Amino acid sequence: MDINFEAFVEWDNSPFILFNNSGKILYLNNAAEILFGYVSKKELYDIAVSYAPQSFGYKTTSLTLNYDSFIFHAITIGYENEEQISIRLYNTPRVKPTRKLETDKFIMTDINILLEANIALFKTKNPNPLKLLTDQDLPPFKLDQNNFSKLLRKVLNAFRSSDSIDISLKLLIGQHVIIEDKKEPLIQLSIEANGRYNDADEEIRLLAAESQIKSLLKEHSIKLEIPLIT
Amino acid sequence: METFFTTSDKIQHIIKSFNLTKTLFVSSIIIGEPHIGKKSLARYLFPDAPIVSGANQEEVTQALENHDELIITDFEKLTNQSNFDFSNKRIIATANYIGNSSLIDDLFGFIYTMPPLVERPDDVTYLTKHFAQEARSILMLDSLDIDLKNIPLNLSKNSQSLKKSIYLYLVQHSMDSSEIEEVLYHYLLKNLDGNDAYREYLSLYEKPLIQAGLKKFGSQLQLSQVLGINRNTLRKKIYEHHID
Repeated sequence: MDINFEAFVEWDNSPFILFNNSGKILYLNNAAEILFGYVSKKELYDIAVSYAPQSFGYKTTSLTLNYDSFIFHAITIGYENEEQISIRLYNTPRVKPTRKLETDKFIMTDINILLEANIALFKTKNPNPLKLLTDQDLPPFKLDQNNFSKLLRKVLNAFRSSDSIDISLKLLIGQHVIIEDKKEPLIQLSIEANGRYNDADEEIRLLAAESQIKSLLKEHSIKLEIPLIT
Repeated sequence: METFFTTSDKIQHIIKSFNLTKTLFVSSIIIGEPHIGKKSLARYLFPDAPIVSGANQEEVTQALENHDELIITDFEKLTNQSNFDFSNKRIIATANYIGNSSLIDDLFGFIYTMPPLVERPDDVTYLTKHFAQEARSILMLDSLDIDLKNIPLNLSKNSQSLKKSIYLYLVQHSMDSSEIEEVLYHYLLKNLDGNDAYREYLSLYEKPLIQAGLKKFGSQLQLSQVLGINRNTLRKKIYEHHID
Protein backbone atom coordinates (compact mmCIF):
# COMPACT_ATOMS: atom_id res chain seq x y z
CA MET A 1 0.00 0.00 0.00
CA ASP A 2 1.27 3.38 -0.90
CA ILE A 3 0.53 6.07 1.67
CA ASN A 4 1.06 9.73 1.06
CA PHE A 5 2.28 11.18 4.34
CA GLU A 6 2.38 14.74 3.18
CA ALA A 7 -0.98 15.74 4.66
CA PHE A 8 0.10 14.42 8.07
CA VAL A 9 3.19 16.56 7.98
CA GLU A 10 1.22 19.50 6.66
CA TRP A 11 -1.15 19.44 9.63
CA ASP A 12 1.38 18.51 12.26
CA ASN A 13 1.34 21.02 15.08
CA SER A 14 5.14 21.11 15.12
CA PRO A 15 6.93 23.07 12.41
CA PHE A 16 8.58 21.11 9.59
CA ILE A 17 10.72 22.69 6.84
CA LEU A 18 12.57 21.23 3.90
CA PHE A 19 15.47 23.32 2.53
CA ASN A 20 17.59 22.86 -0.57
CA ASN A 21 21.39 23.03 -0.25
CA SER A 22 21.45 26.81 -0.71
CA GLY A 23 18.92 27.46 2.06
CA LYS A 24 15.90 27.95 -0.14
CA ILE A 25 12.66 26.59 1.21
CA LEU A 26 11.30 23.70 -0.79
CA TYR A 27 8.46 22.84 1.53
CA LEU A 28 7.03 24.04 4.83
CA ASN A 29 3.99 22.93 6.78
CA ASN A 30 1.30 25.14 8.33
CA ALA A 31 2.97 25.43 11.71
CA ALA A 32 6.26 26.47 10.07
CA GLU A 33 4.46 29.12 8.07
CA ILE A 34 3.29 30.80 11.28
CA LEU A 35 6.72 30.39 12.85
CA PHE A 36 8.34 32.31 10.00
CA GLY A 37 6.52 35.40 11.22
CA TYR A 38 8.97 35.35 14.14
CA VAL A 39 12.23 33.86 12.88
CA SER A 40 14.23 34.26 9.68
CA LYS A 41 14.67 31.56 7.09
CA LYS A 42 18.43 31.91 7.41
CA GLU A 43 18.44 31.33 11.14
CA LEU A 44 16.56 28.05 10.87
CA TYR A 45 18.66 26.92 7.92
CA ASP A 46 21.83 27.65 9.87
CA ILE A 47 20.49 25.63 12.80
CA ALA A 48 19.62 22.75 10.45
CA VAL A 49 23.13 22.74 9.02
CA SER A 50 24.83 23.01 12.42
CA TYR A 51 22.87 20.15 13.97
CA ALA A 52 22.84 17.90 10.91
CA PRO A 53 24.05 14.30 11.37
CA GLN A 54 27.58 13.60 10.18
CA SER A 55 26.42 11.55 7.23
CA PHE A 56 23.08 10.75 5.61
CA GLY A 57 20.36 10.05 8.12
CA TYR A 58 18.37 11.64 10.91
CA LYS A 59 19.53 13.12 14.20
CA THR A 60 17.49 14.48 17.08
CA THR A 61 19.05 16.99 19.45
CA SER A 62 17.59 18.32 22.67
CA LEU A 63 17.90 22.07 22.92
CA THR A 64 15.70 24.98 23.85
CA LEU A 65 14.69 27.40 21.14
CA ASN A 66 12.61 30.45 21.85
CA TYR A 67 10.89 32.53 19.22
CA ASP A 68 8.40 34.93 20.69
CA SER A 69 5.71 32.72 22.19
CA PHE A 70 7.01 29.61 20.46
CA ILE A 71 9.15 27.39 22.62
CA PHE A 72 10.78 24.24 21.27
CA HIS A 73 12.64 21.61 23.25
CA ALA A 74 14.21 19.51 20.49
CA ILE A 75 14.88 19.35 16.76
CA THR A 76 15.33 16.54 14.27
CA ILE A 77 17.55 17.22 11.26
CA GLY A 78 17.64 14.80 8.39
CA TYR A 79 19.06 14.49 4.88
CA GLU A 80 19.11 11.61 2.45
CA ASN A 81 21.00 13.30 -0.36
CA GLU A 82 23.21 16.33 -0.92
CA GLU A 83 20.35 18.44 -2.25
CA GLN A 84 17.80 18.53 0.57
CA ILE A 85 17.83 18.93 4.34
CA SER A 86 14.84 18.93 6.67
CA ILE A 87 14.25 20.29 10.15
CA ARG A 88 11.45 19.47 12.51
CA LEU A 89 11.01 21.52 15.70
CA TYR A 90 9.27 19.98 18.70
CA ASN A 91 6.77 22.17 20.50
CA THR A 92 7.21 22.34 24.25
CA PRO A 93 3.87 21.55 25.87
CA ARG A 94 2.33 24.52 27.63
CA VAL A 95 1.49 24.25 31.26
CA LYS A 96 -2.15 25.05 31.70
CA PRO A 97 -2.90 27.05 34.83
CA THR A 98 -4.59 24.70 37.20
CA ARG A 99 -6.02 27.47 39.32
CA LYS A 100 -9.39 28.61 38.23
CA LEU A 101 -9.69 32.34 37.63
CA GLU A 102 -11.96 33.84 40.22
CA THR A 103 -13.35 36.38 37.83
CA ASP A 104 -16.27 37.20 40.10
CA LYS A 105 -13.76 38.79 42.46
CA PHE A 106 -12.32 40.92 39.68
CA ILE A 107 -13.18 44.60 39.48
CA MET A 108 -13.93 46.59 36.35
CA THR A 109 -10.78 48.60 35.80
CA ASP A 110 -9.46 51.23 33.47
CA ILE A 111 -6.11 49.69 32.67
CA ASN A 112 -4.72 53.06 31.60
CA ILE A 113 -5.05 54.37 35.15
CA LEU A 114 -3.23 51.38 36.62
CA LEU A 115 -0.53 51.69 34.00
CA GLU A 116 -0.05 55.41 34.60
CA ALA A 117 0.09 54.92 38.36
CA ASN A 118 2.71 52.24 37.92
CA ILE A 119 4.72 54.45 35.62
CA ALA A 120 4.61 57.22 38.25
CA LEU A 121 5.98 54.74 40.79
CA PHE A 122 8.58 53.55 38.30
CA LYS A 123 9.74 57.13 37.76
CA THR A 124 10.80 57.31 41.40
CA LYS A 125 13.39 54.64 40.55
CA ASN A 126 14.32 55.45 36.99
CA PRO A 127 14.35 59.12 35.98
CA ASN A 128 15.15 58.35 32.34
CA PRO A 129 12.53 59.64 29.91
CA LEU A 130 10.15 57.07 28.53
CA LYS A 131 7.69 56.98 25.67
CA LEU A 132 4.14 55.88 26.28
CA LEU A 133 1.75 55.08 23.50
CA THR A 134 -1.61 53.96 24.68
CA ASP A 135 -5.14 53.61 23.47
CA GLN A 136 -7.27 55.79 25.74
CA ASP A 137 -10.42 54.24 24.32
CA LEU A 138 -9.73 50.78 25.66
CA PRO A 139 -12.85 49.71 27.49
CA PRO A 140 -12.68 48.98 31.21
CA PHE A 141 -12.44 45.28 31.94
CA LYS A 142 -12.32 42.90 34.87
CA LEU A 143 -9.03 42.59 36.68
CA ASP A 144 -7.57 41.69 40.05
CA GLN A 145 -6.22 45.20 40.59
CA ASN A 146 -3.70 44.37 43.28
CA ASN A 147 -2.28 41.33 41.50
CA PHE A 148 -2.06 43.15 38.22
CA SER A 149 -0.28 46.06 39.94
CA LYS A 150 2.24 43.59 41.35
CA LEU A 151 2.82 42.18 37.89
CA LEU A 152 3.22 45.65 36.37
CA ARG A 153 5.62 46.67 39.13
CA LYS A 154 7.82 43.65 38.51
CA VAL A 155 7.70 44.05 34.74
CA LEU A 156 8.65 47.73 34.93
CA ASN A 157 11.27 46.98 37.55
CA ALA A 158 13.08 44.85 35.00
CA PHE A 159 13.75 48.15 33.21
CA ARG A 160 14.98 49.98 36.32
CA SER A 161 18.22 51.12 34.71
CA SER A 162 17.26 51.02 31.08
CA ASP A 163 16.89 54.00 28.84
CA SER A 164 14.96 54.65 25.64
CA ILE A 165 12.03 52.82 27.15
CA ASP A 166 9.01 52.43 24.91
CA ILE A 167 5.72 51.40 26.42
CA SER A 168 2.70 50.66 24.32
CA LEU A 169 -0.75 49.38 25.08
CA LYS A 170 -3.10 48.27 22.35
CA LEU A 171 -5.89 45.94 21.45
CA LEU A 172 -4.68 42.90 19.51
CA ILE A 173 -7.12 43.02 16.66
CA GLY A 174 -8.43 39.65 15.62
CA GLN A 175 -6.77 37.72 18.46
CA HIS A 176 -8.68 35.99 21.17
CA VAL A 177 -8.20 33.67 24.08
CA ILE A 178 -10.72 31.18 25.41
CA ILE A 179 -11.31 31.51 29.13
CA GLU A 180 -13.97 29.35 30.70
CA ASP A 181 -15.52 28.64 27.32
CA LYS A 182 -15.80 32.32 26.51
CA LYS A 183 -13.89 33.98 23.72
CA GLU A 184 -12.15 37.05 25.12
CA PRO A 185 -10.30 39.76 23.15
CA LEU A 186 -6.66 40.41 23.99
CA ILE A 187 -4.78 43.57 24.94
CA GLN A 188 -1.06 43.75 24.50
CA LEU A 189 1.20 45.69 26.81
CA SER A 190 4.67 45.96 25.36
CA ILE A 191 7.74 47.43 27.01
CA GLU A 192 10.95 47.71 25.06
CA ALA A 193 14.28 49.30 25.89
CA ASN A 194 17.98 49.14 25.20
CA GLY A 195 18.25 46.29 27.69
CA ARG A 196 16.76 44.97 30.89
CA TYR A 197 17.27 42.88 34.00
CA ASN A 198 15.95 39.33 33.95
CA ASP A 199 16.26 38.51 37.66
CA ALA A 200 12.49 38.47 38.17
CA ASP A 201 11.51 36.72 34.94
CA GLU A 202 10.35 33.58 36.68
CA GLU A 203 8.15 35.58 39.08
CA ILE A 204 6.73 37.56 36.17
CA ARG A 205 5.87 34.35 34.33
CA LEU A 206 4.17 32.93 37.40
CA LEU A 207 2.22 36.06 38.27
CA ALA A 208 1.10 36.46 34.68
CA ALA A 209 0.07 32.83 34.37
CA GLU A 210 -2.02 33.14 37.53
CA SER A 211 -4.12 35.79 35.82
CA GLN A 212 -4.19 33.94 32.48
CA ILE A 213 -1.90 36.56 31.01
CA LYS A 214 0.56 35.37 28.41
CA SER A 215 4.05 36.77 29.02
CA LEU A 216 6.70 37.00 26.32
CA LEU A 217 10.05 37.77 27.86
CA LYS A 218 12.90 38.65 25.58
CA GLU A 219 16.32 40.18 25.96
CA HIS A 220 15.17 43.74 25.32
CA SER A 221 11.45 43.55 25.82
CA ILE A 222 8.57 42.18 27.82
CA LYS A 223 5.14 41.72 26.32
CA LEU A 224 1.99 40.84 28.17
CA GLU A 225 -1.13 39.61 26.45
CA ILE A 226 -3.99 40.40 28.77
CA PRO A 227 -7.46 38.95 28.33
CA LEU A 228 -10.12 41.63 28.19
CA ILE A 229 -12.70 40.01 30.42
CA THR A 230 -15.95 41.93 30.64
CA MET B 1 -7.56 69.28 56.53
CA GLU B 2 -4.09 67.85 56.41
CA THR B 3 -1.73 69.63 54.06
CA PHE B 4 1.45 68.27 52.66
CA PHE B 5 4.27 70.28 51.20
CA THR B 6 7.02 68.89 49.05
CA THR B 7 9.07 69.86 46.02
CA SER B 8 10.81 66.50 45.86
CA ASP B 9 10.36 64.91 42.44
CA LYS B 10 10.22 61.47 43.95
CA ILE B 11 7.43 62.38 46.33
CA GLN B 12 5.54 64.20 43.58
CA HIS B 13 5.57 60.95 41.62
CA ILE B 14 4.36 59.07 44.69
CA ILE B 15 1.50 61.54 45.10
CA LYS B 16 0.61 61.27 41.43
CA SER B 17 0.55 57.49 41.60
CA PHE B 18 -1.61 57.57 44.75
CA ASN B 19 -4.02 60.06 43.21
CA LEU B 20 -4.47 57.80 40.21
CA THR B 21 -5.12 54.72 42.31
CA LYS B 22 -7.27 56.48 44.91
CA THR B 23 -10.44 54.84 43.71
CA LEU B 24 -8.92 51.45 42.95
CA PHE B 25 -8.68 48.54 45.31
CA VAL B 26 -4.95 48.18 45.52
CA SER B 27 -2.69 47.97 48.52
CA SER B 28 0.27 50.30 48.81
CA ILE B 29 3.09 50.72 51.27
CA ILE B 30 5.31 53.74 51.86
CA ILE B 31 8.69 52.82 53.22
CA GLY B 32 11.26 55.24 54.59
CA GLU B 33 13.18 56.45 57.63
CA PRO B 34 11.21 57.60 60.68
CA HIS B 35 9.87 61.18 60.69
CA ILE B 36 9.96 61.91 56.98
CA GLY B 37 6.22 62.47 56.62
CA LYS B 38 4.91 59.04 55.61
CA LYS B 39 1.89 59.19 57.89
CA SER B 40 1.18 62.84 57.03
CA LEU B 41 1.26 61.95 53.36
CA ALA B 42 -1.13 59.04 53.85
CA ARG B 43 -3.51 61.22 55.86
CA TYR B 44 -3.27 64.00 53.32
CA LEU B 45 -4.13 61.62 50.47
CA PHE B 46 -6.80 59.64 52.31
CA PRO B 47 -8.33 62.06 54.82
CA ASP B 48 -11.34 59.83 55.47
CA ALA B 49 -9.54 56.55 55.95
CA PRO B 50 -9.34 55.24 59.52
CA ILE B 51 -5.83 54.91 60.92
CA VAL B 52 -4.51 52.03 62.97
CA SER B 53 -1.01 51.35 64.22
CA GLY B 54 0.82 48.12 63.58
CA ALA B 55 1.87 48.26 67.22
CA ASN B 56 -1.63 47.10 68.07
CA GLN B 57 -2.11 43.84 66.26
CA GLU B 58 -5.64 43.20 67.41
CA GLU B 59 -6.81 46.63 66.37
CA VAL B 60 -5.41 46.07 62.88
CA THR B 61 -7.06 42.68 62.50
CA GLN B 62 -10.39 44.10 63.60
CA ALA B 63 -10.11 47.18 61.39
CA LEU B 64 -9.37 44.94 58.39
CA GLU B 65 -12.62 43.11 59.01
CA ASN B 66 -14.66 46.28 59.23
CA HIS B 67 -13.15 48.57 56.62
CA ASP B 68 -12.31 48.40 52.95
CA GLU B 69 -10.10 51.46 53.17
CA LEU B 70 -7.50 51.62 55.89
CA ILE B 71 -4.22 53.29 56.81
CA ILE B 72 -1.87 51.03 58.78
CA THR B 73 1.13 52.80 60.27
CA ASP B 74 4.24 51.06 61.66
CA PHE B 75 3.53 48.07 59.47
CA GLU B 76 6.91 46.58 60.36
CA LYS B 77 5.68 46.05 63.93
CA LEU B 78 3.00 43.58 62.91
CA THR B 79 4.06 40.01 63.48
CA ASN B 80 1.15 38.35 61.70
CA GLN B 81 1.64 40.01 58.33
CA SER B 82 1.49 36.70 56.48
CA ASN B 83 -2.11 36.11 57.60
CA PHE B 84 -3.45 39.19 55.86
CA ASP B 85 -5.55 39.15 52.76
CA PHE B 86 -5.67 42.57 51.14
CA SER B 87 -7.54 41.55 48.03
CA ASN B 88 -10.22 44.03 47.03
CA LYS B 89 -9.26 46.40 49.82
CA ARG B 90 -7.59 49.77 49.72
CA ILE B 91 -4.73 49.51 52.18
CA ILE B 92 -2.19 52.24 52.70
CA ALA B 93 0.60 51.09 54.96
CA THR B 94 3.66 52.92 56.21
CA ALA B 95 6.82 51.31 57.52
CA ASN B 96 10.22 52.46 58.70
CA TYR B 97 11.90 49.53 57.03
CA ILE B 98 11.11 46.42 55.02
CA GLY B 99 11.03 43.50 57.42
CA ASN B 100 10.29 40.49 55.24
CA SER B 101 10.81 41.68 51.69
CA SER B 102 9.20 38.74 49.93
CA LEU B 103 6.11 39.10 52.09
CA ILE B 104 5.87 42.84 51.40
CA ASP B 105 6.35 42.06 47.74
CA ASP B 106 3.53 39.58 47.89
CA LEU B 107 1.05 41.73 49.81
CA PHE B 108 1.42 45.09 48.12
CA GLY B 109 0.73 46.16 44.58
CA PHE B 110 2.55 49.43 45.05
CA ILE B 111 5.75 49.74 47.06
CA TYR B 112 6.95 53.31 47.45
CA THR B 113 10.27 54.39 48.89
CA MET B 114 10.14 57.85 50.38
CA PRO B 115 13.45 59.74 50.47
CA PRO B 116 14.80 61.11 53.80
CA LEU B 117 15.04 64.87 54.40
CA VAL B 118 18.76 64.90 53.57
CA GLU B 119 17.78 64.26 49.97
CA ARG B 120 15.11 66.96 49.97
CA PRO B 121 16.85 70.34 50.50
CA ASP B 122 13.84 72.40 49.40
CA ASP B 123 11.57 70.55 51.78
CA VAL B 124 14.08 71.21 54.58
CA THR B 125 13.95 74.95 53.85
CA TYR B 126 10.18 74.86 53.93
CA LEU B 127 10.05 72.83 57.16
CA THR B 128 12.67 75.06 58.80
CA LYS B 129 10.52 78.11 58.12
CA HIS B 130 7.44 76.30 59.30
CA PHE B 131 9.02 75.03 62.55
CA ALA B 132 10.67 78.40 63.25
CA GLN B 133 7.31 80.11 62.95
CA GLU B 134 5.70 77.52 65.18
CA ALA B 135 8.52 77.81 67.73
CA ARG B 136 8.31 81.61 67.82
CA SER B 137 4.62 81.42 68.46
CA ILE B 138 4.82 78.70 71.14
CA LEU B 139 7.85 80.19 72.89
CA MET B 140 6.42 83.70 72.52
CA LEU B 141 9.49 84.97 70.71
CA ASP B 142 7.80 86.93 67.96
CA SER B 143 10.17 89.83 68.27
CA LEU B 144 13.33 87.70 68.24
CA ASP B 145 15.46 88.57 65.25
CA ILE B 146 17.26 85.51 63.86
CA ASP B 147 18.59 84.44 60.52
CA LEU B 148 17.33 80.93 59.76
CA LYS B 149 20.46 80.28 57.72
CA ASN B 150 22.56 80.36 60.88
CA ILE B 151 20.69 77.54 62.58
CA PRO B 152 22.74 74.34 62.60
CA LEU B 153 20.09 71.93 61.32
CA ASN B 154 20.20 68.38 62.54
CA LEU B 155 18.66 66.00 60.00
CA SER B 156 19.89 62.76 61.56
CA LYS B 157 16.36 61.94 62.70
CA ASN B 158 14.63 63.87 59.93
CA SER B 159 11.84 66.24 60.94
CA GLN B 160 12.10 65.26 64.62
CA SER B 161 15.73 66.29 65.01
CA LEU B 162 15.20 69.23 62.68
CA LYS B 163 12.42 70.55 64.85
CA LYS B 164 14.47 70.04 68.00
CA SER B 165 17.47 71.87 66.58
CA ILE B 166 15.29 74.84 65.66
CA TYR B 167 13.58 75.04 69.07
CA LEU B 168 16.92 74.72 70.87
CA TYR B 169 18.48 77.44 68.75
CA LEU B 170 15.61 79.80 69.43
CA VAL B 171 15.68 79.11 73.15
CA GLN B 172 19.45 79.54 73.30
CA HIS B 173 19.28 82.86 71.48
CA SER B 174 16.52 84.31 73.57
CA MET B 175 17.73 83.59 77.11
CA ASP B 176 18.62 86.43 79.42
CA SER B 177 21.23 86.10 82.16
CA SER B 178 18.76 85.09 84.85
CA GLU B 179 17.49 82.26 82.65
CA ILE B 180 21.03 81.14 81.96
CA GLU B 181 21.71 81.19 85.68
CA GLU B 182 18.67 79.08 86.23
CA VAL B 183 19.76 76.57 83.61
CA LEU B 184 23.14 76.33 85.32
CA TYR B 185 21.52 76.07 88.73
CA HIS B 186 19.44 73.06 87.71
CA TYR B 187 22.32 71.46 85.92
CA LEU B 188 24.63 71.83 88.90
CA LEU B 189 21.98 70.76 91.35
CA LYS B 190 21.70 67.53 89.47
CA ASN B 191 25.35 66.84 88.75
CA LEU B 192 27.50 68.49 91.41
CA ASP B 193 29.66 65.85 93.12
CA GLY B 194 33.26 64.73 93.70
CA ASN B 195 36.20 66.55 95.30
CA ASP B 196 37.40 68.81 92.49
CA ALA B 197 34.02 70.17 91.44
CA TYR B 198 34.93 73.85 91.60
CA ARG B 199 37.64 73.55 88.96
CA GLU B 200 35.63 71.05 86.94
CA TYR B 201 32.48 73.11 86.67
CA LEU B 202 34.26 76.39 86.22
CA SER B 203 34.75 75.33 82.61
CA LEU B 204 31.00 75.74 82.13
CA TYR B 205 31.65 79.45 82.39
CA GLU B 206 35.23 79.80 81.19
CA LYS B 207 35.08 77.74 78.03
CA PRO B 208 32.20 79.55 76.32
CA LEU B 209 33.61 82.84 77.59
CA ILE B 210 36.94 82.32 75.86
CA GLN B 211 35.41 80.75 72.75
CA ALA B 212 33.01 83.62 72.26
CA GLY B 213 35.75 86.14 73.05
CA LEU B 214 38.13 84.68 70.48
CA LYS B 215 35.38 84.65 67.88
CA LYS B 216 34.46 88.23 68.68
CA PHE B 217 37.89 89.81 69.12
CA GLY B 218 40.07 87.61 66.97
CA SER B 219 43.42 87.75 68.81
CA GLN B 220 44.42 86.50 72.23
CA LEU B 221 46.13 89.82 72.89
CA GLN B 222 42.98 91.80 72.39
CA LEU B 223 40.87 89.30 74.28
CA SER B 224 43.16 89.37 77.31
CA GLN B 225 42.71 93.14 77.40
CA VAL B 226 38.93 92.88 77.12
CA LEU B 227 38.82 90.24 79.85
CA GLY B 228 41.26 92.15 81.97
CA ILE B 229 43.50 89.13 82.55
CA ASN B 230 47.13 88.39 81.80
CA ARG B 231 47.91 87.03 78.35
CA ASN B 232 49.74 84.04 79.84
CA THR B 233 46.78 83.24 82.04
CA LEU B 234 44.52 83.34 78.98
CA ARG B 235 46.87 81.08 77.02
CA LYS B 236 46.98 78.63 79.92
CA LYS B 237 43.19 78.50 80.06
CA ILE B 238 42.94 78.03 76.30
CA TYR B 239 45.25 75.04 76.66
CA GLU B 240 43.35 73.69 79.70
CA HIS B 241 40.00 73.78 77.92
CA HIS B 242 41.37 72.37 74.67
CA ILE B 243 40.24 75.37 72.67
CA ASP B 244 41.62 75.63 69.14
